[in-house]
Amino acid sequence: MGNYFSSMFDRLWGTNKELRILILGLDGAGKTTILYRLQIGEVVTTKPTIGFNVETLSYKNLKLNVWDLGGQTSIRPYWRCYYADTAAVIFVVDSTDKDRMATAAKELHMMLQEEELQDSALLVFANKQDQPGALSASEVSKQLNLVELKDRSWSIVASSAIKGEGISEGLDWLIDVIKEEQL
Amino acid sequence: MSAQTYKKFENAGSTDLPDKMTIYQDCMNKFNESPISPKRCRILISRLLRLLLNGETFPETEATALFFSISKLFQHPNDSLRQMVYLAIKELSGMSEDVLMATSSIMKDIQNGSDLVKPNAIRSLAYVLDESTAFSAERLLKSAVVSKQPSVSSAALITSLNLLPISETTIKRFANEAQEAIGDLKQFPHSSGANSEYYPNSTFTTQYHALGLVYQLKKNDKMALLKLVKQLSDNGNLLKNQMAKVQLVKLVNDLVNRDNQLFPQFQPILFNWLSNKFESVQIETAKLITSFASSHKNARLVSPDLFASTISTLQGLLTVPRVTSRFAALRILNKISMTSPEKIVICNPELESLINDSNRNISTYAITTLLKTGTAKNISSLISTITKFIHDVSDDFKIIIVDAVRTLSLNFPQEWKSIVKFLIDVLKNSEGGLTFKNSIIEAIFDIVSFVPQSKEVVLENLCDFIEDCEYNEILVRVLHLLGKEGPFTSKPSLYVRHIYNRVVLENSIIRSAAVVALSKFALTKNDSTLKSSIISLLKRISNDQDDEVRDRATIALKLIDFTSADDENSLIAHDLLQSKKFYDLPSLENKLSAYLSSNTDSFSTPFDSASVRKFTEDEVKAMDLKRKQEQVFNNTSEGSRETPIDMSLESTTSIKEQRLDTETYHGASLDQHQEELVATKYADELMNVEEFKDFGSLINSSKIISLTEQEAEFVVSGVKHIFKKHVVFQFNIKNTLTDVALDNVAVVCTSEDAESSKLNETFTLPIDRLMPSIELQCYVAFEKDSDVVMEGFLNNLVFTTRELNPDTQEPYEDDEGFQDEYEIDPIYLNAGDYIESSFIGDFESAFDELPNEEIAVYNIQEDISLQEVIDKLVVNTSCLPLSNTQFAPNDSNSHTLKLFGKSALNGMKVALLIKMIKSSKGIVIKAQGRAEDEELCSDLVNGLM
Ligand SMILES: Nc1nc2c(ncn2[C@@H]2O[C@H](COP(=O)(O)OP(=O)(O)O)[C@@H](O)[C@H]2O)c(=O)[nH]1
Ligand SMILES: [Mg+2]
Repeated sequence: MGNYFSSMFDRLWGTNKELRILILGLDGAGKTTILYRLQIGEVVTTKPTIGFNVETLSYKNLKLNVWDLGGQTSIRPYWRCYYADTAAVIFVVDSTDKDRMATAAKELHMMLQEEELQDSALLVFANKQDQPGALSASEVSKQLNLVELKDRSWSIVASSAIKGEGISEGLDWLIDVIKEEQL
Repeated sequence: MSAQTYKKFENAGSTDLPDKMTIYQDCMNKFNESPISPKRCRILISRLLRLLLNGETFPETEATALFFSISKLFQHPNDSLRQMVYLAIKELSGMSEDVLMATSSIMKDIQNGSDLVKPNAIRSLAYVLDESTAFSAERLLKSAVVSKQPSVSSAALITSLNLLPISETTIKRFANEAQEAIGDLKQFPHSSGANSEYYPNSTFTTQYHALGLVYQLKKNDKMALLKLVKQLSDNGNLLKNQMAKVQLVKLVNDLVNRDNQLFPQFQPILFNWLSNKFESVQIETAKLITSFASSHKNARLVSPDLFASTISTLQGLLTVPRVTSRFAALRILNKISMTSPEKIVICNPELESLINDSNRNISTYAITTLLKTGTAKNISSLISTITKFIHDVSDDFKIIIVDAVRTLSLNFPQEWKSIVKFLIDVLKNSEGGLTFKNSIIEAIFDIVSFVPQSKEVVLENLCDFIEDCEYNEILVRVLHLLGKEGPFTSKPSLYVRHIYNRVVLENSIIRSAAVVALSKFALTKNDSTLKSSIISLLKRISNDQDDEVRDRATIALKLIDFTSADDENSLIAHDLLQSKKFYDLPSLENKLSAYLSSNTDSFSTPFDSASVRKFTEDEVKAMDLKRKQEQVFNNTSEGSRETPIDMSLESTTSIKEQRLDTETYHGASLDQHQEELVATKYADELMNVEEFKDFGSLINSSKIISLTEQEAEFVVSGVKHIFKKHVVFQFNIKNTLTDVALDNVAVVCTSEDAESSKLNETFTLPIDRLMPSIELQCYVAFEKDSDVVMEGFLNNLVFTTRELNPDTQEPYEDDEGFQDEYEIDPIYLNAGDYIESSFIGDFESAFDELPNEEIAVYNIQEDISLQEVIDKLVVNTSCLPLSNTQFAPNDSNSHTLKLFGKSALNGMKVALLIKMIKSSKGIVIKAQGRAEDEELCSDLVNGLM
């Protein structure tokens, strides 16, 4: 039964179809860690990303084209060069970094105003939950003012990229939403 | 059946470039597609690259948009596409903003990419990193340097070299790895596989790249370089790569040029290298030895055996099959021929056979070299060889040949007849553009001014030539010469006729020049008929249809009219018609541009031409000759000034334009022109200082003398300025420290013999603050109690150092700094500082005519060459060496130097005849001076050394 459905999706979407997904967020939030946890299933040692990393990965029979863009202040202005054709945005927040929650909120809302991202779904990872003092997902949601978002599917998931918790739950939700919306 | 087909990319080989905007649009569309088609994208990038490599550029916003869309291609793992992406990034990095966005992706390829893309990724690093991001690539680059894969290691070494100016601190930490890479004989991975029969195991190019980097890292550490050379040359098999070996030779070249005393210890290695299996190593070694030996202070350090081997190596290379080797060897020989032709006479048979070499570069060089090694005996046969040859080479080569002939005429004035015949022949009969014809005219003019007996023959021939000359520029020059020299010949009326013909037949530019030339004949001595016919010709011309021509004729008539009166106007008119003085052009240029830019009263104050220096004809000739002599010198020492290791790889812009033949004389070279401008600038600056206004006019300024090493912390040079009653030392001081300013910078000059000093220091003008990398002047002024004072001064730089706050570039407020001193070289005032060089056609009779004589004999016990003595004498006396006596013979131990000059104070002439003999005990010099002024004569003769 499951096989039957997935091959039906393949036919509907065209086997070549790739989903473009952007991972955004402030520097040090855990974006690169999440990308490689998704791709190779392991925790890699990272350095601040000067520019971006792009990987193609298969997830549940889908081809995902995932872009992890650097989060430093100097690099954020270039995010917009990569917005076109984006199916979904994964926004990663360091839940322990209370001082920069407001900055993260500002960047998030600014980004979502972009014309090219009007049809993209949004998944927020309240990351680093393994750390003591991490804000819960609902606290992060409040700080980011997510309830204000209209006309867009969004979800916030508590995660720990290091422990591998929450990541696939989040992604599963995202894929479902995309399938629904694009079908 | 017929079919028409059209393929979009079929005409890729055609010279039409694709349309820029189409390419741009295609790129933006295709690169942003999802998913992308690697093949299409690759083709598109190649078309984009073709545009860029043809010099097309994009405005910054478009280039940036292109860059970002290309960066998106990183999503595709196709290696061939990735390689193209890297090429595009390198090309766009110069035009686009924000190329650092590619950094992360590049680093990922360096770490995990395939062997195919790794080298490309590494090479592109240098284009995207900046000072703040370079360190993040350190670990990656370091491990790439020691990679076993030669192409990866090479790429990393070159990238490190390119990153050196961007982040020296990071790259400095690779020294050990780079050193290791020199000795590591890396092999291509396929070398043990199936293709190993067809491909070499390795070219060992990595060695070359590694050596280049190691040199850059250690270039300031002489001991480390010495160790490196020793290690690489002791084990002769270590370096396999040809270019690396050549590099090693260049490294030795650098070392011996920094410290010539090192030469003897390298001699055995050099001997070896002269017979190395690579021709390029032989050539580079020969180049090192000959250029080192061409500097006179080094010549005695080169053993005769070594030099002889060098020449015979070069001789051997003249007949090898490889064209480039023949050319390179010939080029070196040609350089030697400029100063010491006798050293290479043994190569004449080979040189002669190269005249028929199918490569024109080679045959031309062979001829010009032969022209130098030629002796009085074979000149005419050589000339006839060239006469046949010159008509079928291109203009560039013709110019080189004509130039060589021009030098020949200065060296063998007695051969002027055949030379003039040759020059006139090519002038009249050979095809060629303006530059070529102008070079002939240049040569002919030289002969006229330096070989007076040739004058009439040349002028008559030129008259013929202008009957049928297509170039205005040349016609005007010839008319000028006819006007200048014609009136003093035996039959001035001949020239008048020829000049007047031009007035009838030519355009207005030439008619104007002809009018000026004609008017000069009106002053021909004691020939009133000529004068009246000139007047009637000019009257006729004053009805010319062109206003410039009419004006000139009218003015000339007026001036001629004035000359018959017997008053002051007559003198002025004489001077205007036939001027005896010429403006100093650099100074004129400088003053005019200052006048134009400082216009305060809309030019109602006229330009003051009196403030511009003027020269007499002899002075102009003296300077001209001196310049030409120096030109030859500069050319011969050029080899040693080359940067030892020039590896700006990959950069398309670094191709230095190099002329085929550096000996071609194009008037003063840029350097000399600059030097003159600087001298004028210094003099102007000096005269604008309030304190010096009372000193009166500046009588003479010395050349710029350097008083420290060029690498010193403070680089100081000095200029001596002589006034009627004062002397001013100007010190140009440059602070090369990066984070320290100097306050109250002054030079303390102490007379070597304070007791009897005839100079009284009156004041010093210190520099208030000298910031890093700035050069400013400090002046020390003295009063002198007689016209000519000769003394030496020991000099000390005194200053207060103030550390700079790196943020504000201001000294720290609370830091008082501390006083310091720095010793610089002494400065000497000698007789030469009161003398200007001057030209005289006939030295012997001038010498005999001068009334006062003084003789002095010197014994020099140092081991120096005759040439060094000559050079010193020429500099110390400021006189002009005549009859080519500024070159010491190589086959004899004695020499006579002829010098001529005049007092800068009062214009009195002085001539020196200096005989020198070298023996095992040293050099004996007998100087015989003759002068109009007795004191000047004895000062000069007794103060030679
Ligand atoms: N404790 C903890 N550390 C994390 C987690 N995710 C990432 N990090 C660490 O946070 C740092 C920054 O991660 P990185 O992926 O480079 O962040 P980016 O700048 O958003 O790409 C690294 O030291 C990661 O190991 C997490 O879930 N828990
Ligand atoms: Mg990152």
